[in-house]
Amino acid sequence: MSNLPVAQLLVEADVAREAAALDATWRDKSGVWGWLCAVEQKTIARRYIITTFLMFLAGGMEAALMRLQLARPENALIGPDRYNQLFTVHGTTMMFLFAVPMMQAMGLYLVPLMVGARSIAFPRLNAFGYWNYVVGVVFLYVSLFINMGPDTGWTAYVPLSGPAYSPGHRVDVWAQVVTFTEISALCGAVNLIVTVFKMRAPGMSLNRIPVFVWAQLVVAFMIVFAMPAVATGSTLMLALDRAVNTHWFNPAEGGDALLWQHIFWFFGHPEVYIIFLPAIGMITPIVETFCRRAVFGYTAMVMANITTAFFAFGLWVHHMFATPIPELGQSLFTAASMVIAVPTGIQIFCWIATLWGGRPRLTVPMLFVLGFLFTFINGGITGVMLASVAFDKEAHDTFFVVAHLHYVLIGGGLMPLFGAFYFWFPKLTGRLLNTALGKLHFWLFVIGTNVTFFPMHILGLNGMPRRIYTYAETTGWGTLNMLATVGALTIALSVLVFLINAVRSWFSGEHAGDNPWDAAGLEWATTSPPPSYNFVHTPVVRSRHPLWETTVEQPVVTGLRSDRREILLTTTFDAQPDSRHVGPDGSIWPLYVALCMGLLFIGSIFSPYSVLAGIGISLIGLFFWGWQSTQDVEVERVALPDGRMVDRL
Amino acid sequence: MKPLRSSADVSALPSVTFGPRSLMWWGTLGFMTIEGWTTALLVGSYLYLRQNYHGWPPLRTPNPSLLIPSINLALMLVSIVPAWMVARAGKRLDEAAVKKWLVISSIVSVPTLVLRWYELWALNTRWDTTAYGSAAWTIVGFHTSLLLLDICDTIGLAIFFHAKKLPIKACSDAADNSFYWYFTVGIWVPIYLIVYVGPRIF
Repeated sequence: MSNLPVAQLLVEADVAREAAALDATWRDKSGVWGWLCAVEQKTIARRYIITTFLMFLAGGMEAALMRLQLARPENALIGPDRYNQLFTVHGTTMMFLFAVPMMQAMGLYLVPLMVGARSIAFPRLNAFGYWNYVVGVVFLYVSLFINMGPDTGWTAYVPLSGPAYSPGHRVDVWAQVVTFTEISALCGAVNLIVTVFKMRAPGMSLNRIPVFVWAQLVVAFMIVFAMPAVATGSTLMLALDRAVNTHWFNPAEGGDALLWQHIFWFFGHPEVYIIFLPAIGMITPIVETFCRRAVFGYTAMVMANITTAFFAFGLWVHHMFATPIPELGQSLFTAASMVIAVPTGIQIFCWIATLWGGRPRLTVPMLFVLGFLFTFINGGITGVMLASVAFDKEAHDTFFVVAHLHYVLIGGGLMPLFGAFYFWFPKLTGRLLNTALGKLHFWLFVIGTNVTFFPMHILGLNGMPRRIYTYAETTGWGTLNMLATVGALTIALSVLVFLINAVRSWFSGEHAGDNPWDAAGLEWATTSPPPSYNFVHTPVVRSRHPLWETTVEQPVVTGLRSDRREILLTTTFDAQPDSRHVGPDGSIWPLYVALCMGLLFIGSIFSPYSVLAGIGISLIGLFFWGWQSTQDVEVERVALPDGRMVDRL
Repeated sequence: MKPLRSSADVSALPSVTFGPRSLMWWGTLGFMTIEGWTTALLVGSYLYLRQNYHGWPPLRTPNPSLLIPSINLALMLVSIVPAWMVARAGKRLDEAAVKKWLVISSIVSVPTLVLRWYELWALNTRWDTTAYGSAAWTIVGFHTSLLLLDICDTIGLAIFFHAKKLPIKACSDAADNSFYWYFTVGIWVPIYLIVYVGPRIF
């Protein structure tokens, strides 16, 4: 395989020449057309991150409005109909349009860098997924502003969401928005799985994959098995019940309302872990870097990730304890709900052991990790409480559940995510976020979260149901609600501080350099921000912490062409160099097909015939997508399945 | 940044591979998993609804007809042969044979789509009559979307191969298209057994 003398030192001028050639090959074209045709992995991931963050702000504003409405009894700020739309769009936004795509977007940006790849496996599919997501975002928010926002909760339970009780198109909007986000998530998942399996740097065998990449890989598999469930429920069942009078959920014709809950929660419970596991993956490199030591129990952490993913698919019925599920089933799912605390506990003990044995530096990312530990453990404990059928029936549909899920999702998802923003912001932008503003953001956020959500436990135990737009003064719930509203406004203030910090730092923050934290992962082995081709030469990995090795030189492989988008593929287990793959150029067809599918799904709400039109124009787009995918004809080296190697035009 | 040292030159590695060595094969497998799992969820839901009925199919609903579905099943199984020939020719880099078998594959597979229309009506119920009919129509309808997509892919590839000289990598793509066709046909066998034959049994 090797034409060069082994261990030849590369001359700096040659490296610079190679970098210029690679940039010309890999960079997306400029101008509006180039922007629309962009497929570069980091460009798409950056767009995802920005769009999903905008969705976080939108969902946050909806939450703030709801809190203002609930601040005092019998408030008249928002009426019941608008309130229903607000809590539905808030939940839908935060779960489908923010949390999952944001976690995946971080993976789409970081995973190729962390595994030392030049790009992602299928860049056009990646762009297609993003545009699909944008269609969903626009559709939901246009609908909300024209008073067609969904109003049956983010869980859209039937029969409430069925044609009999929700005429009009509000629920249809919800069903189709879910479809768009599922397509997008599935495209991302397949991309990440194939990238991790086939595009790792030479030497990055399975036992050297960074914990964050493991987490993204496990979550990608979870998405592959969880998302089809909600897509089946929303697109192939609920939407059809509403559009063409099928009877999936109509008991009068043999349908079953409980089927929706099974299908929805078979997706919905893993969804929590789809948000939580990438967050766990983010914590590990932060803890390692600021304790300056390898994480304690790497194998246990990875196995705990995988185990959590398996258990996550066996818990869905604990969301249905208030339905007539057989007692044996209830006991089984109670036990499973408690067992899943074990792998999570293992991971938490591993971090504590790492902190214990290291000398932690309390930087802003580390503060958010500590905030995570405190907040998430509280949420986890109320989760174990709710796993008990007797208690669950008492607290079902009360604010206790609202408190629990926000402690889990904010503690387990948002806090690590903010920590990750501070940690990887320098890699994305080349600049550091301001530390003083970061600490202010952290303290406001932690205090705000606890002031908002802790009182909700008590409100729930006092009997306040969730999803009510107001309450009578005689209930005595006013004081705690006012406290929660003050907390929510504190959270809003903390996010404003973060926004100011991010915008200010992006333009005038301190220059970060390539590796400002002296971290160990491969993403820090390239410039900040990374070039379009990620690495001039694909790095070679010899340990779990490549940048902490004491060698004075970075081993790399050479021989990939710079005049076309060549990527090194390696073997799945041992990451041995196996072949060269030619990636595609930019293309307008992913956007075109996403728009056609938008027409297909949105049109289906109004007329089933638009499905036929949508399929027709989508197929035309796919044809040209395929036509444009054919690379230039030149002599290629072909590895035949029988092992022979031939050069062929 | 540390100075770079070349530890290997990969320029002699192949740029066209087949099966698990190629990215497209893995991508195809990923979408097959998603679509297969969606089918499994639909079939699971169909069987879940069974518990709501005393009889299956429900009262006054005849059993699905078997003639057209059985003919179509046979045709689909036969269509595996040209698909397999495409893959075999692709793996030998025999572009002429790939062209020929892609056309034959298209000719054999298009009638399965035409028969599918009659196959839907062979369910002997409508989608809006009972939940049983809804479930059966949805399952068969979902599979029809897979069938349509793969047939279009096959026809598209046949057009590409005849329209211009393609890079040799297209031979690998043609083999992956056959891989997807095996899946489309393979997943139909349990659907046929459960939706068309099943009501006679349970």
